[in-house]
Amino acid sequence: MKTVNIQEKILTKNEMKAAELREKLKGVAVLNFVSSPGSGKTSLLEKVLVMLKDKYKIAVVEGDQQTTHDADRIKATGVEAFQVNTGNACHLEAIDIERALGSLGYDLDLLIIENVGNLVCPAEYDLGEDAKVVLLSVTEGDDKPAKYPVMTRAGSAYIINKIDLLPYVDFSVEKCIEYAKGIQPELEFFTTSCRTGEGLDKVADYIEKMIKAKKG
Amino acid sequence: MHELGIANSLIEIVLENANANGAKVVRSVTAKIGRLAAVDSEALKFAYDAIKEEYPMIAESVLLIDNVPVTGKCNKCGATDTYDEMFFACSKCGSYEVELMTGEELTVSEIEVD
Repeated sequence: MKTVNIQEKILTKNEMKAAELREKLKGVAVLNFVSSPGSGKTSLLEKVLVMLKDKYKIAVVEGDQQTTHDADRIKATGVEAFQVNTGNACHLEAIDIERALGSLGYDLDLLIIENVGNLVCPAEYDLGEDAKVVLLSVTEGDDKPAKYPVMTRAGSAYIINKIDLLPYVDFSVEKCIEYAKGIQPELEFFTTSCRTGEGLDKVADYIEKMIKAKKG
Repeated sequence: MHELGIANSLIEIVLENANANGAKVVRSVTAKIGRLAAVDSEALKFAYDAIKEEYPMIAESVLLIDNVPVTGKCNKCGATDTYDEMFFACSKCGSYEVELMTGEELTVSEIEVD
């Protein structure tokens, strides 16, 4: 018997496909939006993308188990969208994005991926994105960053949404931010309401900064 | 639950290295898994045992998991810590500016062959 020393990183097929996408999307800002179901990802995108759509070439990949409701909502704002129905899968994979880009094309300034509502599995699947944007609504509890630490750790931006409901719920924005910072100190935080429009301009600025950084 | 995909990729690496070293049979495989790698050891072993039957060279092998704890170094005061909780504040000065040193591994470290 002999021992063979290897020390090789295990790269899954998904990671290889994501690396391929990253190569093809060199000048395109790619943001992967993740959250629990019902945190307001689509509502936020409807409002924020309208602020950017006349300046930049934008496309959205929508991931849901079933229906084209979300892609229909995005298209109604005048932004290109492609719906991926994952069936029984609880997350999008890089190959889904490749398929969507086959229809949307690679000639973009910004690609937004709205992942399936789930804070567990989407953390484990690289989609070739530049940043994962995590959304949390104030009805979900301020300790959520700590309950789903792998996703919190993977995030680049953290949006606390539905802040118009703060007077009605026991949610401390400060506590939530403290929990998240202890897991990922580099997170950028935003507080938003799609009802009142508060904070949405800051999210648009963040996205615009990502687009400009990618264009170089 | 992406352990099946990881088991497949792990087996590819094992077979490649076993063949390159002229092995007839693989006895054991050691994989390093960091606590932050989001991989469930039991699910990975289950997937490995299910797939290995298809490959005579590894059919009798056992997958050993080397669990790696999360350790970090504070960028403010230089103290090092091992974290049991997924909350990375420096135990000396309280800063969140902690650089993780280990805990994100997902590697095949070695195989034993005949």
